[in-house]
Amino acid sequence: MRTPRSLTIEITSRCNLRCRYCYFFNNPEVVYRDLPTDEWLTFFDELGSLGVMTLTLAGGEPFIREDLPVLLEGIVRNRMRFAFLSNGTLIDDEIAAFIAGTGRCEHVQVSVDGSSAQAHDSCRGEGSFEKALRGIRTLQRHRIGVTVRVTIHQHNVHDLENIARFLLDDLGLPDFSTNSAGYMGTCCVNADEVLLNVEERKAAMATLLRLTEKYPGRISSSAGPLTDGRMWRRMEEARAQGKPAFHNGGRLTGCGCPSNKISVRADGAIVPCNMLAHMELGRINHDSLAEVWQNSPDLNQLRTRHNISLAEFEFCAGCSYIPYCTGNCPGLAYTLTGQVDHPSPDACMRRFLEEGGAIL
Amino acid sequence: MKQTDRPIANPIVVLREEFDDWAVLFNADTAAAVGTNPVGVAVWKLMDGKRDIEGIVSEIKNSFEDTPDASGEEIAAFVGILAENGFVGMEQDSN
Ligand code: SF4
Ligand code: SF4
Repeated sequence: MRTPRSLTIEITSRCNLRCRYCYFFNNPEVVYRDLPTDEWLTFFDELGSLGVMTLTLAGGEPFIREDLPVLLEGIVRNRMRFAFLSNGTLIDDEIAAFIAGTGRCEHVQVSVDGSSAQAHDSCRGEGSFEKALRGIRTLQRHRIGVTVRVTIHQHNVHDLENIARFLLDDLGLPDFSTNSAGYMGTCCVNADEVLLNVEERKAAMATLLRLTEKYPGRISSSAGPLTDGRMWRRMEEARAQGKPAFHNGGRLTGCGCPSNKISVRADGAIVPCNMLAHMELGRINHDSLAEVWQNSPDLNQLRTRHNISLAEFEFCAGCSYIPYCTGNCPGLAYTLTGQVDHPSPDACMRRFLEEGGAIL
Repeated sequence: MKQTDRPIANPIVVLREEFDDWAVLFNADTAAAVGTNPVGVAVWKLMDGKRDIEGIVSEIKNSFEDTPDASGEEIAAFVGILAENGFVGMEQDSN
């Protein structure tokens, strides 16, 4: 690809909430500063000239930006589409009508972590559940696509059945996705109170695998207990039956993002991904994005990560899952080990089993 | 106003040219995307409302060696698909 097809842009470093597992805040390697409107508009012109197709607007909380309509006009003018990652609490009729009027919104992803205020607000703060629901209903009224992300943590892990019923049956959403609180940012500070322990991970996997049978095709994930549960089941089956290595197994293939997309932090630093926010590749409106995309040594090195064999790591020595393992997310590998080119201990199946986990 | 037989590219559509000479046409209003080869890219660039399909085909034959005889029909079919999906319209004539 000559240029990225899509970008994730943290258009603000501000947020009205302070979630206890937030990956975004409390990262010592990130500068929390917002860019003025003009800087973003100049950058959107560059993206338009590069043929970028879609922007995912994240933060912080993107709806906190007072100049959001002007920014969206800049995106529309440059023939791009957009999506949001939001906590939903600041969405009102006025902005929803504006978004609907552009005809360019792919969807708004709203975080909902519980079937009741008690579970949701436990990590996101009092009143946030009701406000998030109000945001969802506002979007629905304006016929804007809504997707919901459930982040699983200690306080909602036993509410998953109710959450599925609430989102799919009561709210009538077509589907929702899940992940779990990960060891990043604010979550590192509150790890003992939010991160799932082995027993809770086991319970989450069992419940989610059961729920995917009850609601076929309506619960998805790209990380977290559902992804681990599915992947580890396949890995265990392959190992037990002595199957040949998976086509992507045995090497650090767990992340294909750097070849498809790129991210920009709220302060304008270009980074490979929001999960690798420390890895500054350049700066918008100072460095050409096409140049960074094609020639950044760090980015190109990240793209060759898939050639690194898991057998090279002491961490993996003697592991019988090597032929089936992908090493998973480099972002979590970095926060947990200090190295990007390392398997992520968080998604290590052997470690999970050694700590008392089981494959269901 | 009368519709002509001269196709004109929808200005909202983005042409993304990739390294391998292939390209993607992306309609930001509908999110539809179509992949195309170098001949398709050349056709796209010629759809400026000044040429009819015959004119476009003859320009393509001049620019690409070994263009097969069927190319006229293929180009017409390609333009037809683009028109059906809102990527292309027909130039309006005020005369
Ligand atoms: S997780 Fe999202 S909503 Fe919560 S504090 Fe972080 S940026 Fe704000
Ligand atoms: S030790 Fe963990 S990360 Fe390494 S191959 Fe085994 S399961 Fe994968």
